[in-house]
Amino acid sequence: MSKYSVIGQRVHRVDGPEKVTGSAKYTFDMVLPNMLYGKVLRSPHPHAKILKIDTRKVEKLIGVKAVVTGKDTPGHKQGIWRRFPELCDEEILCRKKVRYIGDAVAAVAAIDEDTAEEALDLIDVEYEPLPAVFDPLEAIKEEAPQIHEGVDLNINITRHIEWGDVDEAFKKCDHIREDQFKCCSQAHVCMETHDAVASFDYGGKLTMWTSTQSSYYIQRLLADMLDLREGDIRVIKPPTGGGFGSKFELDSAQFCAAVLSMKLCKPVKIVLSREEEFTATKRRTPMYYFVKLGAKKDGTMLAKEVRVITEGGAYTAMGATALYLTGFFSSFPYKYPNYRYDGYRAYTNTAPTSAMRGFGAPQSTFVGESQIDMLADDLGIDPIEIRRKNGMTPNYEVPGQAYIQSCGLHQCLDAIEKHVKERGKLPPNRGIGVSAYGFMSGGIFNWFDTPYAFSAAIVRINIDGKVDLFTGACDIGQGSDTTLSMICAEELGVRLEDVRIHAADTGICPADLGAWGSRETLMNGNAVKMAAADAKRQILEFAAAKLGPNIVYDLDIRDRWIHLVDRPERGVSYYDIVKEAIRGRDGEVIMGRGHYTPHRKGMISPAYSFGVQAAEVEVDPETGRYKLINVTTAHESGTVINPVGIEGQLEGAIMMAGGYGFCEDQPMDEGKILNPSIADYKLIRSLDMPETEILEIDTYEPEGPFGAKEAGEGLTNPTAGAIGNAVYKAAGVRINDLPITPEKVFRALREKEKKGKKSK
Amino acid sequence: MKKELKFTVNGQPYEIYIKPKTLLSEALRDHLGLTGTKRGCNSSSCGACTVVLNGMAVKSCSILALQANGGEVMTVEGLARGTELHPLQKAFLDHGSFQCGFCTSGMLMSSKALLDENPKPTKEQIKEGIDGNICRCTGYNSIIRALTGVVKGEYKEEK
Amino acid sequence: MSYKCPVCIKVSKSAMDLARHMMGRGDKVHRDWIVSKGFKYSELLTLQIKSFGGEGYKALAEVLEKETKTKD
Repeated sequence: MSKYSVIGQRVHRVDGPEKVTGSAKYTFDMVLPNMLYGKVLRSPHPHAKILKIDTRKVEKLIGVKAVVTGKDTPGHKQGIWRRFPELCDEEILCRKKVRYIGDAVAAVAAIDEDTAEEALDLIDVEYEPLPAVFDPLEAIKEEAPQIHEGVDLNINITRHIEWGDVDEAFKKCDHIREDQFKCCSQAHVCMETHDAVASFDYGGKLTMWTSTQSSYYIQRLLADMLDLREGDIRVIKPPTGGGFGSKFELDSAQFCAAVLSMKLCKPVKIVLSREEEFTATKRRTPMYYFVKLGAKKDGTMLAKEVRVITEGGAYTAMGATALYLTGFFSSFPYKYPNYRYDGYRAYTNTAPTSAMRGFGAPQSTFVGESQIDMLADDLGIDPIEIRRKNGMTPNYEVPGQAYIQSCGLHQCLDAIEKHVKERGKLPPNRGIGVSAYGFMSGGIFNWFDTPYAFSAAIVRINIDGKVDLFTGACDIGQGSDTTLSMICAEELGVRLEDVRIHAADTGICPADLGAWGSRETLMNGNAVKMAAADAKRQILEFAAAKLGPNIVYDLDIRDRWIHLVDRPERGVSYYDIVKEAIRGRDGEVIMGRGHYTPHRKGMISPAYSFGVQAAEVEVDPETGRYKLINVTTAHESGTVINPVGIEGQLEGAIMMAGGYGFCEDQPMDEGKILNPSIADYKLIRSLDMPETEILEIDTYEPEGPFGAKEAGEGLTNPTAGAIGNAVYKAAGVRINDLPITPEKVFRALREKEKKGKKSK
Repeated sequence: MKKELKFTVNGQPYEIYIKPKTLLSEALRDHLGLTGTKRGCNSSSCGACTVVLNGMAVKSCSILALQANGGEVMTVEGLARGTELHPLQKAFLDHGSFQCGFCTSGMLMSSKALLDENPKPTKEQIKEGIDGNICRCTGYNSIIRALTGVVKGEYKEEK
Repeated sequence: MSYKCPVCIKVSKSAMDLARHMMGRGDKVHRDWIVSKGFKYSELLTLQIKSFGGEGYKALAEVLEKETKTKD
C-alpha cells in the first residue's frame, strides 16, 4: 500500500471538466452589464518627447465614452522593487516621454471594440523624436542618449557575486577557456493575451478580473498607481491562459482599464491584441556573456569568472532579479571554489525585458553547459564524467550564497549516462548533447511590504464534511489548484473530491506572492499543509473526547476514516465526527490556518531541484537544418505530489526551452520587433516536438510539504545547452549565439569546410 | 446593414442578424454566447479558434460568419452528450492533455475532425492533424497520447 | 598596506581590489572621481565587461596605487 492515499496518484485536474468542455470562463470571455471596451494608443517612436496630445476629435465620435492620458492619472511610477524607489520608473501611461515602440500614451473606452479601435486613429499626438539607442554596449557610452533622467550612462543596475580569489586560482589552472555568448530574447506567447475587466463603483471600490500570476501584486501596484487603499481594491483571477513570467507586474491592459473605469464608474474591458502582446509586454532578457573558466587537467574546475551585460529595455521591471539570478545560477550546478560574477543592466529604447520562466537561468545554463562541454573536449574528458567530478552534492553550501539540502544531481547523471549508452551507436549526422541544471523553489526575497516571501492558507470544514481551501496561489495552467488540493486532502485525511479550492481572490483569500520563481508547491504547499493539520487537530480533539481512547493512542484520519493509528480498524467516520463537532460548537465551522515563510531558510531559496537532460538531434550537413529526435530528462523534485502535473510541466518546458535553443527570437530593427505575430514568430509545433522521456529520480526535500520541491521552472533551463552540445556532437560546429538556427549551423559548417580545405 | 445568417450549431438551428464583416468566431462567441471557442492571435495561425464546419476543421477567425450560412458547425460545447463526455474529452482528462486550457477547445475540435475523417491515424498523422494548433503549456506529447488512446479504443463512446 | 577609497569608507587590500570596488559601485560619486582622473567611465566599463583578469581595472588601479595607498 502506498504511504500516501492522495498524493502521488494520477488524478484529473480539479479544473479539468470545465476546461475540456469549454465552459471555463476566462477574463477573455467575461461580459458584464454596461461593460465598455477599451483600446490603448501606443508610441510609434522608440524615444520621443510627448509635446501635445489632442483628444478633441475622439470625444466627438459616437460610441466613445471616455479617453484618458497620463494627465488623468496621479502620475506615479510603478515598479515591483517597491522598496527601492529609484527602480520604480514606469508610468505606464506616459506623460512627458516615450521610451520604446509600444509605450502607452492614451486609452479610450467605447461601446464596442471596433469603435474603440477607430477612436485611436482620431487621437493626435505630437512627438519630438529623440535619438535612440538599442544595444546595451552602445547605451553605456557617454554619447548615448539618456533614457531616464538622472540615470547616467543608462546603467540601470549592477550586481556582483564573489567568493574565493579567482585571479589567484586561474594561476593554478592547467587549462583556461575564455568564451563569449549571446542569449537572445524570447516571447512568452501565452495563449490568452494580457487582459482585464475593471469595475469601479460609486462607493469608491475597484474590482478587477484579470489574467494574472499574482492577484496580490496587481492589487498592491494598482493601489500605488491610483492612490487607492489596497483594501478598496479586489483583484480576482479567473482561469488564466498562461503566464510564464509575463503576468505578475501591472500591465497596460490592467492599468488603462482601471483608469477608464474610475472615470466612468462603469466596467471597462481591455484585451491586448496578439501584436500588442509581442511588442508592448515584457519579454525574456537578452544577455551578452563573457565567461572565463579554469580547470586542472583532470577536469576539476577551480575558477569561473563571468561578466554579463543585459539589454534592459525601457524600464526596470523585474530585470534586476533576472540580472542577479543569472549570476547566481551561473555557479550551478557545480562546486566552484572560486567564483566571480559582475552583471550590468543597461536601459535601451526597446521593449522592457523582465521575467520569463527560468528568470536568467536558461541563459546562464546555456552558457555554462556549452562551456563545460568545450572544456571537456579540450581536456579529452567525457562530458558526464566532468560533470560528475564537479557536481553539487547534498548539504553543500555555495559560499556565502545558498545552502543546498537535498540534491539528486549525481543520480540524474547516472541515469542519463545509462540512457546515452542504451541509445547505442547513433546513425550518421546524429549526436546527443547533455546539460545539467539546478533551480530554486521560490526566492526567499519579496520586493515590497516585507523583506521576506510568504504564503498563507485557510481550511474551512463544513457540516457535510466538504472542505473549502482558501489560498492566494495562482493557477496559470501549472496545476497549483490541483496540487494544493491534493496536499490538503492528504494532510486532512479526506479524498480529493472533498476539497473545493478558492484561489487568488484578494477579497477572500489570504495573501500570497503568486506564481513565480517556482514557489507555489513548496511555499503554498507548506501553508496548506499547516492549515489542514490545524483543522485536523481540532477534529481529532473532538474525536478523542468522544471516543475516549487510552491516552497513549494516537488518532489519525485517512480516507475519511478517523482511527487509532495502531488499531486502524477501530474508528469512526470523518463525516459523523465533523457533523457532531460543528453541532457541538453552536454551528461554528472548523477553521484551520497555516502560513509559511522561508525567512532564515537558506540565503536565496529554501530548496533546490536538479536534473540532467540529454537531447538527440540529427543535422543535415547540406542545409544546416536539424531535427530534435529525443529529449530525455532525469530530474529530481523531491516527493512527486501530482505526477500528471509534473509530466505536463516537463514536456511543456521542453517545448519552451527547446524553442529558446531551436527557433524562437525577436529580431529588431531600430527598436521595432520584426515578427510580432504567431505567423512569423517561430514556435515548436507538434511536428517539431521530439520524443520525450522522463526518468524520475527519488529524493526527499525536508523543507518541502511531504518532501516536495520545485519542478516547473528548473526544467526550462537545460534544453538550449543540450541542443547546442548535441549539434556539436552531430556536426562538429559550435554555435554560441541563440537561437541555434539552421542558417547559423549552415554558415558554421561551410566555415569549417573552408578551414579544412585551407589546412590541406 | 445587417444580414441574416441561418445555420446549425451543435445540432441546434439558429437564425441571427449580423454585420457582413462578422467573423464566424465572433458570431459564435458574441452572438450565440458559445465562449468555448477562443481567439489567440490575429493572423489565423494559432488554432485556438478551431471549430468543425461541414465536417472540416476550420479556423473560425479566418472565415466570415456568412460563409457558414446553411452549414453545420460543431464547437467544443457540442462534444459532450448531456453530461456524458466525449471519448476525446475523457482521454484529455486522463492524460493531462491540457494545462491552462486556452488552446484546448481548438485542440479538441481539430482532433475530432481528424478522427472523423480517419479513425485509425498513425502517430505521424496525429501530429499532422494537430500541427495547426499551438499549445504553449503541454509540449503536445500528452495530447498525442490521449489521441492514441482514443484510436486504440480505450474510450468507448456511449450509445 | 591598505588602500582607502577616496569617496567612501571602503578600505581594500590592493589597488586592483579598490578599482573593482569603485567600478562596481557605479554610483555618481565614484564615477565622478574616476572621470576626474581623466578616464572615460564607459570605456573602462566596456573593457571590464568584455575582458578578463581585471583588464578594465589596470589603468585605474595604477592611479589608485599612487593616490590612495596608506600605511596601516
